[in-house]
Amino acid sequence: MMILESLRRQPAHGYALVQQIQQRSNNLLQVEEGSLYPALQRLLKARLVKAEWTVSSTNRRVRTYQITAAGLRHLEREISSFERMFQGISLVLKPRVPSPEKA
Amino acid sequence: MSWIDRIISGFLWRRRSLYSDLAEEVRQHIEEKKELLMHEGMSGEEAEQAARRAFGNVTLVEEQGREVWQWTRLENLWRDALFALRQIRKSPGFACAVIGTLALGIAAATAMFTVVDQILLRPLPYARASQLVEIYERPVHWNGHDLNFVPFLDIQAWQGRAKSLQQIAFYDWMNGRSFMGSRNSSTEVSLLKVSANFFQVFGIHPRMGPGLPNMLQDFAKSGSEDTVVLSDTAWRSIFHADPHIIGKTVQINGQPYTVTGVMPRGFAFPFGDWIPQAWIPIQLTSKDQVRNEDTPSYSVIARLRPGVKLITALAEMNTMQGQIAKSYSNPDQRKNATRIKIDPYVSTLVDKSTSRALYALFAAALLLWLIACVNATNLLLARSFARQREMAMRGALGASRWSIAQQLVVESCVMSGAAAALGTAMAVASVHLFQHSFRSHLPFRISASINLPVLGGLVVLTFVSAVLAAAWPAWLAACSPIEPMLRQGGQQSGTSRSHHRLRGGLVIAEIAMSLTLLAACGLMLRTIYDLRRVPLGFRTDHILVANLDIPTYRFSKVNATTELYEPLLERVKHLPGVDAAGLMTDVPLGRTFLMQLSLYQKSSQNIVDAFFKAATPDLKKVYEFRMLAGRYFDVQDTPTSQPVVVVNRAFAREYAPHEQDLNKVVGMQVLKLDPGKQSKQATIIGVMDDFRQRSVDYPPRPEVEVDISQLDPKSGFYTGLEGIAMDLAVRTHRSSDQVVPELREALRQVDPALANAKITTMNQIVEDSYGSQMFAAHLLETFAGSALLLCVAGLYGLLAYVVSQRTREMGVRFALGAQRGDIVWLIMRQAGLLVVVGVAIGLGLAFASTRFIRSYLYGVSAHDVWTMGVVAVVLLLSGAVAAYLPARRAASVDPMQALRSE
Repeated sequence: MMILESLRRQPAHGYALVQQIQQRSNNLLQVEEGSLYPALQRLLKARLVKAEWTVSSTNRRVRTYQITAAGLRHLEREISSFERMFQGISLVLKPRVPSPEKA
Repeated sequence: MSWIDRIISGFLWRRRSLYSDLAEEVRQHIEEKKELLMHEGMSGEEAEQAARRAFGNVTLVEEQGREVWQWTRLENLWRDALFALRQIRKSPGFACAVIGTLALGIAAATAMFTVVDQILLRPLPYARASQLVEIYERPVHWNGHDLNFVPFLDIQAWQGRAKSLQQIAFYDWMNGRSFMGSRNSSTEVSLLKVSANFFQVFGIHPRMGPGLPNMLQDFAKSGSEDTVVLSDTAWRSIFHADPHIIGKTVQINGQPYTVTGVMPRGFAFPFGDWIPQAWIPIQLTSKDQVRNEDTPSYSVIARLRPGVKLITALAEMNTMQGQIAKSYSNPDQRKNATRIKIDPYVSTLVDKSTSRALYALFAAALLLWLIACVNATNLLLARSFARQREMAMRGALGASRWSIAQQLVVESCVMSGAAAALGTAMAVASVHLFQHSFRSHLPFRISASINLPVLGGLVVLTFVSAVLAAAWPAWLAACSPIEPMLRQGGQQSGTSRSHHRLRGGLVIAEIAMSLTLLAACGLMLRTIYDLRRVPLGFRTDHILVANLDIPTYRFSKVNATTELYEPLLERVKHLPGVDAAGLMTDVPLGRTFLMQLSLYQKSSQNIVDAFFKAATPDLKKVYEFRMLAGRYFDVQDTPTSQPVVVVNRAFAREYAPHEQDLNKVVGMQVLKLDPGKQSKQATIIGVMDDFRQRSVDYPPRPEVEVDISQLDPKSGFYTGLEGIAMDLAVRTHRSSDQVVPELREALRQVDPALANAKITTMNQIVEDSYGSQMFAAHLLETFAGSALLLCVAGLYGLLAYVVSQRTREMGVRFALGAQRGDIVWLIMRQAGLLVVVGVAIGLGLAFASTRFIRSYLYGVSAHDVWTMGVVAVVLLLSGAVAAYLPARRAASVDPMQALRSE
């Protein structure tokens, strides 16, 4: 989901994606950089992203990933369901406030 | 390159490019990171390391990335299968044992079931065949087998009133053989005279043409007389599937008939669509409008109304028939027509004893399959336990329980698969074998196609048993802690007691089941032995028998005796090497023809049912029948001399029960050969000793024989006997290979229609009459032999394994002073326990189950103590042999080596 979100903002290659995610999470999410690649392969297989070899700003031959229309739809769904789940969790975790009617 | 290859190679190429993209990408990633770090001031080496550390395990990442594109499960399975094949190549003996055992079981059971299915369970080519019934009339006090056909008036009465019957049709057999086609090439067909509603009762309509025109006002009568409906087989084989056959004229027995229908493929009545068949309408005459001695009577086939039970129909019909019988004027006829017998048509095709015996044989085959599975299980168990150390090693190297179990399961699947393939091939081969051996004594042909659902079921069950046998120990091994197994060296770890108990139990089960099969086999062998010792009452050596296809219609007007038989005998007698030649309507054990008479004896008030045959004088020379009194036919017996008959002892005993002296039976008057008023009663001129008439296990019945020259073409006996069937029996001292062609040529010269006669030796006819018993015996021999082999192998395998496990223990025993004899005794005792328990259980099983083959037995009871005893001893002995080899190996253990081997 995070990968798709990053790609929605702009297409990027693997290394750039890692940097982006780490920065945007304020380095809270510390993961092995390599674990990104199997995830990318899965997205490729599900045709949520597409990839092509380009030349980067640093004049390097890189594989740039771009989100597809299917990827966008998938992301929308994921985000809304994640938000609902998050809402639910926060409701449960919220300290109990006695309801005014009963009081 | 085929398109499949192209797809696969394209697929692989795409995959390879995906993988290289991934590897390239990962390399670029690390490079970029490294450059960045170097930019921040690290040395090249430090930067490389840091970049790699941050990235993680490159190999793992690549592997995981690749896995996304793979069908991991499938590819693992494929690897396991390849590994299994390598394992099989490594220990071919073991693999052969397992595969062979399982294949044997699968083949036997599948082949047997195919036969049972085709004979007993096959769907009949009629609509809702279970509603079809045959109806006969019978007396109140019924002897259980003689049934009476039904005159038309009775059928008409039923048709009007019976509520439980939807429709009633009837038919009549043509007298003699029928031939269809042109004058030069005629083919024998099965011809039936049927009522007009015949096909409606079966619920089958002709594929072409209107069929038999049915006059609605009368259910039985057909409008036009000379019409014929052909079976599909007749249409194809005789008329080459002529699409314009309807309306054409065909010759049947020299008479012209117009074809009005062709039945769809598969339809046949009587059952058996391999014979060309034809049906013509019954012509009802004034004789059908009364009930007396001359009234023709018919076979009745009817359809029950849907939902009506047989017993309901029977009750209704019996009530009705009680009323109907009152209209018979003749008291004897009335007596014979007061009750009804209804049989489901399906059940009349195979008699009960045959079907029971077939089921018993099928059960025997299933038992063999079970034994095979148990044996294979035992083998696989042994191997799995022996490989526990290997499993532990795999576990130590990081294989999950599941992957270990999976590998073993795949291995057993590969073996079961091979067994299934081999088993199928063997089943097909044995069905071909069945096909041959069944032809002589069942009214069916067995197609060579095996029953797929059953084969599938058995294969699946076999897989399940093999997989369980392989997976269970693997799972145990995977669950048990790895470390002690590796440390103790597996072999001596004293694998659980329950494992031994399980394998012991399997061996006991095997022995018990084998004993059951052996007992059945023993009983069959006793039967064959007894059958072979039955005195037949005639000589069987050096006799050739030709079963003649008499074209009946050509001899209905001329006398066959002078026109056909006498010239034939004359010609055959002068063939080189022929000592004697005779004719008889049905030679002993021939079973080609049967005519039965009921003779009423006035003085003793009893009725004697007797076989009635026509013969020539020389027949006695051929078979060397023994005369007890009087003489056989000779040249004195001519058409004009006193009519005479020869009877057998069984007849004399029943016809004149108070007469002790057979010589006094000679001269008694028995019957009139000619219905004419002035004709004389035929007298008995001789009494023969009894001989076997129908089959070896069928006790002699009364028999009356008549000289063919004394049968006048006008008499009913002529049309019933010599105009229909005749066997030529020839005694020759030359070899049959030389005589048969000459004999056939002689037949052809006398009449071209006889050239196709079936010629066999008398010895073969006797052999065929053992048919079903012989067949059952051979099958059971095979089954029991295989079972014995399997259970000996199972016992041997178990003990050999136990001995190899206990090598060290043996060493210790020797070291402590045990004698070799003690060790042998120790192992033998262990084996003895298994065998004795198995035999005891098996005897119980055998006693309970051999009664199912009772109908096949002759001269021996189903619980014959001797047979059981011998079988038990055979098993005990084979058990002892199987146990002795491992025991001797145990005894030959070198104590030093055994102890040092740790």
